[in-house]
Amino acid sequence: MTELRIAAVGDIHLGEDVRGQYRKSLDGIGDRADILMVAGDLTRHGTLEEGRVVADELRDLPIPVVAVLGNHDYHSDMQHEIASELRDAGVIVLNDDSAVIECDGTRLGVVGGKGFGGGFAGKCASEFGERETKNFVRHTRLIAESWQHALKEIDADRRVVLSHYSPIKETLEGEPLEIYPFLGSYLLAEAVDTAGADLILHGHAHRGTEKGMTSGGIRVRNVALPVLGAAYAVYCLADE
Amino acid sequence: MEAPQYVAARVQAALAEDRRTHELGIRVDVRGDQLFLRGQVSGAEQRERLGEVAREAAPDLHVHNEINVVEVGRPGEVEHLD
Ligand SMILES: [Fe+2]
Ligand SMILES: [Fe+2]
Repeated sequence: MTELRIAAVGDIHLGEDVRGQYRKSLDGIGDRADILMVAGDLTRHGTLEEGRVVADELRDLPIPVVAVLGNHDYHSDMQHEIASELRDAGVIVLNDDSAVIECDGTRLGVVGGKGFGGGFAGKCASEFGERETKNFVRHTRLIAESWQHALKEIDADRRVVLSHYSPIKETLEGEPLEIYPFLGSYLLAEAVDTAGADLILHGHAHRGTEKGMTSGGIRVRNVALPVLGAAYAVYCLADE
Repeated sequence: MEAPQYVAARVQAALAEDRRTHELGIRVDVRGDQLFLRGQVSGAEQRERLGEVAREAAPDLHVHNEINVVEVGRPGEVEHLD
């Protein structure tokens, strides 16, 4: 039985001053993994210059690269330009949509995007009151709906969700409780549990915990680089 | 005198919002006239910039920059999910 080997990392936060360094740590990745997934916060300030550094670091790797953006990548309102730079470098950038990648005969479906916050069941914001609050929660709800839809539509042997924000609380352990609503939303997990998936990867919570699970039993991994303490982790899915 | 909690919050906001740093995960504690920075960043330059921004945001305090630089040159563990 062969396995699908998924290398994953988030929050690489690259800038001009560290150009070339992350790339070095990707040496030999083709021997260790079949695909690389990058869970957002690729830059520090979301400038085009930083986006170009990221594109160069991820360019021409021996395996396909799928990425989503994170909140930092939106900071300078250059998210579309950064995504184009990445796409020009051959990176598949998901924005609440999906891609199917052929890996060694297995069709791997990846669904995802930035995600957003709002908090976790029983302790979360709702679409009530001020326009600003409603917009905040609505943004997350629409994202969750598009992921659920994409997961249902996709025709693949394996399905992985790639997000920046967290779908569950467990992988936030280590972060201050007070900021949980800004780190993720249970609406994301609910959507994925409804449609089904094999694995959810996220970043954003630098002080969080690597391993967790949704209420529906889908494995969740926080792959933020400071959490992994490594250039990337590798998750192997048994081939069906 | 400004309460230490407000000083810490102001410094933390500066670290997040200043163009030179934009770092959200740094813990800031104030004890008397001492300010402590803790957390992890990926490069020594970012650590120095954080210290600089903190010193500018709280010029009257003595800043202790205890931020760790994490080297991530190697791949991490392999996990088999079944
Ligand atoms: Fe981040
Ligand atoms: Fe983030």
